[in-house]
Amino acid sequence: MKKVLAFGILVALLMLGCVSEESKEGAMEQIKIYGSGASFPAPQIENWISEFSKVNKNVVVEYASKGSGAGINDFKSKLVHFACTDPPAKKSEWEEFEKLGKPLQFPFIVGAVVVVYNLPVEGLKLDGETIAKIFMGDIEFWDDERIKALNPNANLPHEKIIVIHRSDSSGTTEVFTTYLSLVSEEFKKRVGAGKLVDWPVDKLGRGFGGKGNEGVSAMLKQTQNSIAYVELAYALHENFKMVSIKNAEGNFVKANSETISSAISASSAYVPDPTEGYKEDPKLFLNAKGKNSYPIVSFSHVLLWQSYPEKEAKAIKSFWKWVLTEGQKKIIDGYAPIPKEVAELGLKAVESIRGE
Amino acid sequence: MDKFKIFLLPVVGLVFGIIILMLIVFSLNSIPIFQREGIAIYTTNIWKAGEVPEEEFYGILAAIYGTLYTSTIAILISLPISVGLAVFISDLLPKKLREFFIIPTDIMAGLPTILYGIWGIFVLAPSLSGMMKFLYDNFSFIPFFSYYNPTGFSYLSAGILLAIMVTPFATSLIREAYMAIPSIYREAVYSLGLTRYEATKVLLSYIKPAILAGTLLAFGRAVGETVAVSLVIGNAFNIHSSLFAPGYTISSLIANQFGNAFIYEFMPSALFSAGLALFLIGLVVNVSGLLVLKRWGYA
Repeated sequence: MKKVLAFGILVALLMLGCVSEESKEGAMEQIKIYGSGASFPAPQIENWISEFSKVNKNVVVEYASKGSGAGINDFKSKLVHFACTDPPAKKSEWEEFEKLGKPLQFPFIVGAVVVVYNLPVEGLKLDGETIAKIFMGDIEFWDDERIKALNPNANLPHEKIIVIHRSDSSGTTEVFTTYLSLVSEEFKKRVGAGKLVDWPVDKLGRGFGGKGNEGVSAMLKQTQNSIAYVELAYALHENFKMVSIKNAEGNFVKANSETISSAISASSAYVPDPTEGYKEDPKLFLNAKGKNSYPIVSFSHVLLWQSYPEKEAKAIKSFWKWVLTEGQKKIIDGYAPIPKEVAELGLKAVESIRGE
Repeated sequence: MDKFKIFLLPVVGLVFGIIILMLIVFSLNSIPIFQREGIAIYTTNIWKAGEVPEEEFYGILAAIYGTLYTSTIAILISLPISVGLAVFISDLLPKKLREFFIIPTDIMAGLPTILYGIWGIFVLAPSLSGMMKFLYDNFSFIPFFSYYNPTGFSYLSAGILLAIMVTPFATSLIREAYMAIPSIYREAVYSLGLTRYEATKVLLSYIKPAILAGTLLAFGRAVGETVAVSLVIGNAFNIHSSLFAPGYTISSLIANQFGNAFIYEFMPSALFSAGLALFLIGLVVNVSGLLVLKRWGYA
């Protein structure tokens, strides 16, 4: 019996040796790049990663979607090679990065935040002012005069509006609240813009917080008469009813690739040099002009360092170069490619990355 | 004997050291928020994060309130159930069947809490929302029911979920104590000619300390439960007397906010002070438990 056991152990050890040797050989060729951050572009990044792995088998990219704030944190502690954030990094954050190295930031995709609702009414129309009032809790019932005025033909129920928002700190919240602060003076004063804001509607008892996009969408699905905001790709995936929002020229538009592109081409896409990314205006595409422009559109940005260890630098360059060229042709539903000038700016930045 | 004492000393030191070290860490990290806001961190209901530190202000009163409220609901529901179950298993069940009842409750005690949370968000909350609507429509003059909440995410859902989670713990503690009552006492009680109900009452009063211990353990677990609660409580900074209102608990607040807290200047410190509040709640609950035992003459 003992002999058999000893033989078994020996065989197992031999096999182990073979396996570890094999994986060692694999690791020699493959380089792993880690990224984390915004959940906003996560579906698109996942798609790029799988496409990229088809053409470039030596580089493995992994992305953890855990929110812009967490991504910036990971980037600061150098846990990841790159981080994605929806709103551009703030000046204070940028100064902290500069203590650790030379940071780069450039936009790589355009997305939209949509207002979604759970109500047996199709094609709800709202303007920014009214949305702000709903999310502040000023409008209590769905059949309020101010909503009725925008939807004269809809059969709105006399039910209380349940407002669902993110309970964690999120870039989606920042984009949404920046827009609401832009269109409503009152919202700017009472709530303001940020990744995490104190929703006045919570204190009225009609506000609920869900953790992450998943939490918000689970609550929305189960709660009649509710309203929430999520990122477009998510709303499409979950098949939520979306509000048509009144844009700067007075037209009601739904978010889709076309209306997003229209918002981009209507604004002058001024993007600062990637080495001073914090100078970017977060209101860039919000409430853009143009007949067909969707009003809540925003860039998602990537943060990179200017220098990495030799091998990693090569891999990072190859991935982001691919994203800014080939990747821009493989955009999934719910996003739009960045304008050409902006892509070129990003490419220049990627080229400037050096290996040590 | 002395050598044995010395041998055990490091173990005791380790446990006490860890507790004291934790207290120190939590206290030290809470200092910035106390210096900035004073006691207002515990007495106001505001959660204002800001990229500019001057704009930040945190007050966790709603979370403290929610923690006590939901845990109390959980205890009120789970205590009668656990005592009843314990008596049923040890007195009324044939010996051979006992294991069939003990094993499932033990498994329930060990299940990962996220399972309860998912069940809570998809089954419990929606099914409670119907009942809540009925009670609100018909009995909203009673303060407990005076809240319109069609989502089902509320103190009540969290309390019921917690009750389900802590019942197995309390049950097994009470059951073990109840079964350990010397048979002389049982025989004595029955020889007096008491009915089964009367006899059970007498026997239960004999194990009062165990019931109290079970309650404290259950309360402690209910206070500290994180993931499951944050899925069903609604995560709203809200203070309301109604069972149907959404709220926050300290643990769910920490779970929700900690991942991103370090972007902000004072939020980590605010969360540490919330942890400190949990410590204090635990301390108060346990000390008052000891005092009750003393009054009963057990300690």
